[in-house]
Amino acid sequence: MNIFLYLERRTWVHRLDPRGKVLGVLLLFSLCLCFNHPLYMGTITLSILGIGASARVLFNFWRLRFILILLLIFGTLMWPFFAKGPTPLWSWGPMVVSRESLFYGIAMGLRLSSLVMAGLILLSTTRNEEMTHSLIGLGIPYPVAFAFSTALRLIPTLAGAGATIIQAQVSRGLDLESGNIFRRMGKFIPQAIPLFLYAIRYTNLLAIALESRGFSPGTKRTFYYELKMTPKDYEILVVLGALLAAALYLRLGMGLGAVLPGRL
Amino acid sequence: MSKAISIEDLTYAYRSQEIPALQHIQNEIQEGSLVVVLGHSGAGKSTLCTSLNGIVPHFFRGRYQGRVFIKDLEVARHKVAEMSRHVGLVLQDFEPQLFSTNVELEMAFGPENLRLPRGEIKRRIETYLPFLGLEHLRRREPASLSGGQKQRLAISSVLTLEPEILVMDEPTTDLDPRGREEVLAIARRLQEEKRTLLIVDSDPETAVRADQVWLMREGRISAQGPPGEILSDIPGLQACGVKVPGLIELFVEMGWPGKPLDINEAVSLIEKHDLAQKGGLHPPKPSESGMKGNCILRVEGLVYAYPGYGLEALRGINLEIREGEFVALIGQNGSGKTTLAKHFNGLLKPSAGRVLLKGRATTEYKQQQVSRLVGYVFQNPDHQIFCNTVYDEVAFGLKTLGDPLPSMNVRVAEALETVGLMGYEKKVPFALSKGERQRVAVASVLAVRPEILILDEPTTGLDEKQQRALMEMLRSLNARGHTVLIITHSMEVAAEYAARAIVMKDGRVLLDGPTRWAFAQEDRLKEASLHPSPLVRLSNRLGTRALTVKQMVEELKG
Repeated sequence: MNIFLYLERRTWVHRLDPRGKVLGVLLLFSLCLCFNHPLYMGTITLSILGIGASARVLFNFWRLRFILILLLIFGTLMWPFFAKGPTPLWSWGPMVVSRESLFYGIAMGLRLSSLVMAGLILLSTTRNEEMTHSLIGLGIPYPVAFAFSTALRLIPTLAGAGATIIQAQVSRGLDLESGNIFRRMGKFIPQAIPLFLYAIRYTNLLAIALESRGFSPGTKRTFYYELKMTPKDYEILVVLGALLAAALYLRLGMGLGAVLPGRL
Repeated sequence: MSKAISIEDLTYAYRSQEIPALQHIQNEIQEGSLVVVLGHSGAGKSTLCTSLNGIVPHFFRGRYQGRVFIKDLEVARHKVAEMSRHVGLVLQDFEPQLFSTNVELEMAFGPENLRLPRGEIKRRIETYLPFLGLEHLRRREPASLSGGQKQRLAISSVLTLEPEILVMDEPTTDLDPRGREEVLAIARRLQEEKRTLLIVDSDPETAVRADQVWLMREGRISAQGPPGEILSDIPGLQACGVKVPGLIELFVEMGWPGKPLDINEAVSLIEKHDLAQKGGLHPPKPSESGMKGNCILRVEGLVYAYPGYGLEALRGINLEIREGEFVALIGQNGSGKTTLAKHFNGLLKPSAGRVLLKGRATTEYKQQQVSRLVGYVFQNPDHQIFCNTVYDEVAFGLKTLGDPLPSMNVRVAEALETVGLMGYEKKVPFALSKGERQRVAVASVLAVRPEILILDEPTTGLDEKQQRALMEMLRSLNARGHTVLIITHSMEVAAEYAARAIVMKDGRVLLDGPTRWAFAQEDRLKEASLHPSPLVRLSNRLGTRALTVKQMVEELKG
């Protein structure tokens, strides 16, 4: 089963320099934080979906659709209770939901899922090694960058081992079908022990394999894939930067794009 | 010729261990030779491997005495990263060795660490990709490769460092027969190129082509010499827990002249000395046997596709398993063996067709009811062990199924007795050996007294003695009425213990019948990239009924 996010495609997004891509995604993140009006926020969400489509990574959005939809729904449902607005819409006892806070909730839901989608575009179009390389290029020390990318790699491996462990216990009579959700969760806890031991063993072997292949943290190394910022990378960064500046002007200078101006 | 490796009185004990893993090792390896190391588990083979590139003593701390030289470099005085230019190390587990996102980058990782320029890295990748037959896979993700391809990639990613010496620690143990053949073919090519190779393996067949064979026992090298000499020393091999090659054992038992290492040699010896007459064996037809007992498992038109994947892992399986049978399920990785077996205990639900357990579809049972009837031991015992004591571990199934306490004690004691671990109740499972942990896992399934017992690759990673102990235990359980089904790569284990063999290929059943009958169909087996052991092939050529040395001796002596 393939649980890695990277999708081998040949699109303009894949070809971008990973350093530029990391910066670009940071700019996208900032754009997401500019507005809390659903219309403005929605425009940004649609644009991110558009970028995802042209990078041909919608498959990964689809794979994580439950998380994306959950974020959207939870954002929309939860926020209205915390953010108060002037126009009451509905009330029940002490709970009041206003028109503005409902809109605000929708915008927050969109914002959360947009942030995740922007991150997904980065992870789906950038190889682990390129990510490490770009983090180094952006001034992060190699051991830290390597630890980060190795951690990313370990997640699917451990998820696979976890699934096998659960199956092994279910065939020994572990009952995951009955009981309420908390009791069922409780039954999962002991399974962490074999998983933990597996992780220790795995990382030990990984360390041996790394050292056997000449890896030593803290020393310099070369990179097989060359990183090169092309004019296109700069163009995209300039465009995104200009968009961010415009967005900030709209929000701060003209007061547009916010249903609740006091909130982020 | 000059020395590639010399080991001078090396003794090494891991921290917190009293008994040294290696004791007074004194030996050397000539440049360009192939050395194969055999020995029981825990003999110190892996420790020896890791002492050659400095993982011992740099990575593992412990008491280190003596010296190891690679050419004129003393290993203990150099960092592992420096030694990696001279000694390449390939491990048994391929998963942790592959951490890059494609084949090319995996191979580039070592040279990148050596700070080689891009052009040189490219040259090396272009040299070794075709050498290992991986050109067409250069952009593939390592996780998506087959076992043999993965291990070949692990080898190539070490070769790009261009070390003079290559050390492989059980490189084929986790592989299916085809993967094993792929890796051994690479080893032969490296041998032809006059590289210095040290290979640890559990199968003496690997040692046949070696220049030198070392036998290890309890941290010492107990014997060394050319393969012809070492492999025919039956008591010596047995003392080290190494399987005796079947053909040699046969010739010695029969008192025939010569000690053949492969089948052609054996056949020409037999013809030359006119040792045996060709019998007229007609292997029994599948319908003639296996009709005893009631049908306990019935598979009808079973099709299964993993969710999210279009490809069908099982494409129309029909079979019947009767009470008291001993069945071996064999085939390459990815042929659907494990997928099929997981339907027997309801872990997977059919996409089409059905699986009837005692006449009722598995989908109509609750999972717990199925667990009572069908015990399933997973390949890696460490995937299920999690309790602090052996007692709790074995009792876990009974507890979750809600059995009362008094009968629980009896059941646990009984299960431990069956697996030969009486008195182990209070021990900590994690501190036991792999063979013992495997048995704890079997006991924990047995305690529930399932009627059917399924074991996925029960002998992988066990040495000869542990394998034999486990398989004899399964045989006695079978004799007491349990239906036993094993999934295995080992044609020898299947030949010796299973009465019936089911051979799978690409999600279908290729052959299903008495093991003797199935193993006589060498051409059909070849379609599934399988071939029986040299002894069984000899038995096929001679037209005897035997599948083991013992049977063959009885049959030939009449």
